[in-house]
Amino acid sequence: MSTVPTITARQLVLIVLGLAILAALPLVLSPSLVNAAIKMLIAALFALAFSLAMGQAGMLSFGHSAYYGLGAFAALHLMKAVEDHVLAWPTPFVPLVGAAAGLVAGIVFGWFATQRTGVYFAMVTLALAELLFTLAPTWNSLFGGESGISTMRMPSWALSFGNDVHVYYLTLGWVVVSAWCLWAFTRTPMGRLAVAMRENEHRVRFLGFDTHLARTLVFAISAMFTGVAGALLAVANEASNYTIFSAQASANVVLQTFIGGAGTFLGPALGAAVMTFFARVTSDLTRSWLLYQGLIFVLVMLFVPDGIGGLIALHARRLRGAAISRFVVPYLLCAAVGLLITAGVVFGVESVYVLLSDAYVAQRRAAGGAVVPYRLVGWTFDPLSPLTWSLAVVPVLLGGALLPLARARTLLAWDKAIHEAER
Amino acid sequence: MEFLVISTLNGVVHGLLLFMVSAGLTLIFGMMGVLNFAHAWFYMIGAYIGFTCTRTIGFWPGLIAAPIIVGSLGVLIERFMLRRVHRFGHAHELLLTFGLAFIIEEVIKLFYGDFPVNYAMPSYMKFAAFTLYGIDYPFYRLFIGGVAILIFAVLYVLLVRTRVGLIVRAATLRPAMVEALGHNLPVVFMGVFATGAGLAGLAGAVAGAFFPTGPSMGVDFGTLVFVVVVVGGLGSLEGALLASLLIGLFMSFSVGFDGSLADLLGLVGLGDWARGTGGLLTLQLSTIAASTPFLLMLLVLLFRPAGLLGDRQ
Repeated sequence: MSTVPTITARQLVLIVLGLAILAALPLVLSPSLVNAAIKMLIAALFALAFSLAMGQAGMLSFGHSAYYGLGAFAALHLMKAVEDHVLAWPTPFVPLVGAAAGLVAGIVFGWFATQRTGVYFAMVTLALAELLFTLAPTWNSLFGGESGISTMRMPSWALSFGNDVHVYYLTLGWVVVSAWCLWAFTRTPMGRLAVAMRENEHRVRFLGFDTHLARTLVFAISAMFTGVAGALLAVANEASNYTIFSAQASANVVLQTFIGGAGTFLGPALGAAVMTFFARVTSDLTRSWLLYQGLIFVLVMLFVPDGIGGLIALHARRLRGAAISRFVVPYLLCAAVGLLITAGVVFGVESVYVLLSDAYVAQRRAAGGAVVPYRLVGWTFDPLSPLTWSLAVVPVLLGGALLPLARARTLLAWDKAIHEAER
Repeated sequence: MEFLVISTLNGVVHGLLLFMVSAGLTLIFGMMGVLNFAHAWFYMIGAYIGFTCTRTIGFWPGLIAAPIIVGSLGVLIERFMLRRVHRFGHAHELLLTFGLAFIIEEVIKLFYGDFPVNYAMPSYMKFAAFTLYGIDYPFYRLFIGGVAILIFAVLYVLLVRTRVGLIVRAATLRPAMVEALGHNLPVVFMGVFATGAGLAGLAGAVAGAFFPTGPSMGVDFGTLVFVVVVVGGLGSLEGALLASLLIGLFMSFSVGFDGSLADLLGLVGLGDWARGTGGLLTLQLSTIAASTPFLLMLLVLLFRPAGLLGDRQ
């Protein structure tokens, strides 16, 4: 199973096409979407760097926010020095200092953490990150206290970096180069050793390798690129505070990696980009977006344990030469089931949210305690009418009723397609 | 002297509270090896159930309802979710429960709002147990400590002295053997998980009446409960109690202690150098009280990975 990964000609075409689209994006996107795209790229790099430790070497780090934050604060201090004319350092090279901070922290912290494996490793990394999280708000000189540090991007190389488009290309450049480096690393003997250690550390040690040193190195490289991502975030936001070290931030990258698919190379980047975009869009639309995000996490963990990337890889691997048309009807059916259930759940949650909100309670008080109709996405609903609640219940029931059918049709299509591909 | 006595008392009570919250996780994480990130959120549900019960059926029924409801929730989560992802490994369990923590917090915010609710103990429990140095010491703090000690005693007897406890302990060490002897392992694990979750629910209903009951309860204890279990030693109930008390005392003493590393170095004549260096060395100990549990966990993991009273890794 463990052969050196290579890129086929077809994948190369797809990659070049993808890069071309990424490079052309700022020409068509609105400024706020460019900003969202920057955050998506940064999240993608963070997830790629994390998955070097997790996916390749099997080290479940639960404290990667430490290196992300240290990279960000290192970059902020450098930018501040440039702003105060203490130092002349071109803005495009600011992420280098994030890489350095991540690497140093990765070597020091990693040396301790990699003495343990499995759950204990996760706990050491968690403790290190929580230590920073609890220290940072009181350590004014380094982390700027609770308010954090803010600074300005300085123009360099005839580029002002005043608008997001410049920052976008700066971020894109660093993310692509870093992603290529991470990919190249998986192909080196050291990268193969990381996979071998994940599969069976005892055997690697019996072969004469110093596994502690090797694990420290892999962890430090992962931390280094995490530092780059953190520095890019600092460049984009021009500010940061101690919350960047929170366990939530560490957990987020783990989740994004697994939603994207920890077993594939680009899957984590995809998962991170998708989830960042989802958070951005839904947090503007509804106050209960964290609930939906939690539901997605749970559903993906339960039903798609290999993640989006794993799903795509499965299709690419097993269905070579099979007729895609076979899947149109089953997948449309699956999509319909998903849409129905989502629509019912979202309507129910949003209705409850409106009905329990302070604004609605005030409306009722104004109406003398009577149950007044409420408004949701432009329509008016009566909370006491069974029709209103059937809008939430009926789609869910309908979706649930269609689920076995969609499942059976999909399985049938898969069976036939695999049969066809093997023939 | 006053500082010493008050800090010790507060530290012990805080430690016992910590033990009450993490006792269930000692079973779930320590014995079954399930990284249940949502444990502190179970504690939060318990507090909200307690709050709802005081409004409807009373305070004491709430203390019974909370563990039962949260325990049943634990059964559902174990049976229909955790068991499915168990074969994919620790990471999936952790992430699943992390997603659950999100859902729990948001559903509670949906129904109870973003701000702490007014969950109060019955008025007849609001009295001072004794007066120390002119300060009334609330009886309820002693009540919390008492419930924690009761939980410890019951769990200890259950695990060490009964047949059920024998099977549970054997199942964590030699699952295949226990199964071969005819015990229904999945049911045993489900029971352990439900008990652990129920204990968190009870802790929430008891402690929530004294400490603020709000949507941040989960985050406040989220990682701290793992510290207790790891420092105490996986699966060791006595270890968890010892670790909780240690952490409680550490935190209460460092909060009230005025001094920094520089002052300590001053004793050996390095004070001026340390103050000149600044940074970590001049931070007041009281401001880094929140860090001490994680420092303790780090030291334990590096030098005694089995935990203070654990006997296996």
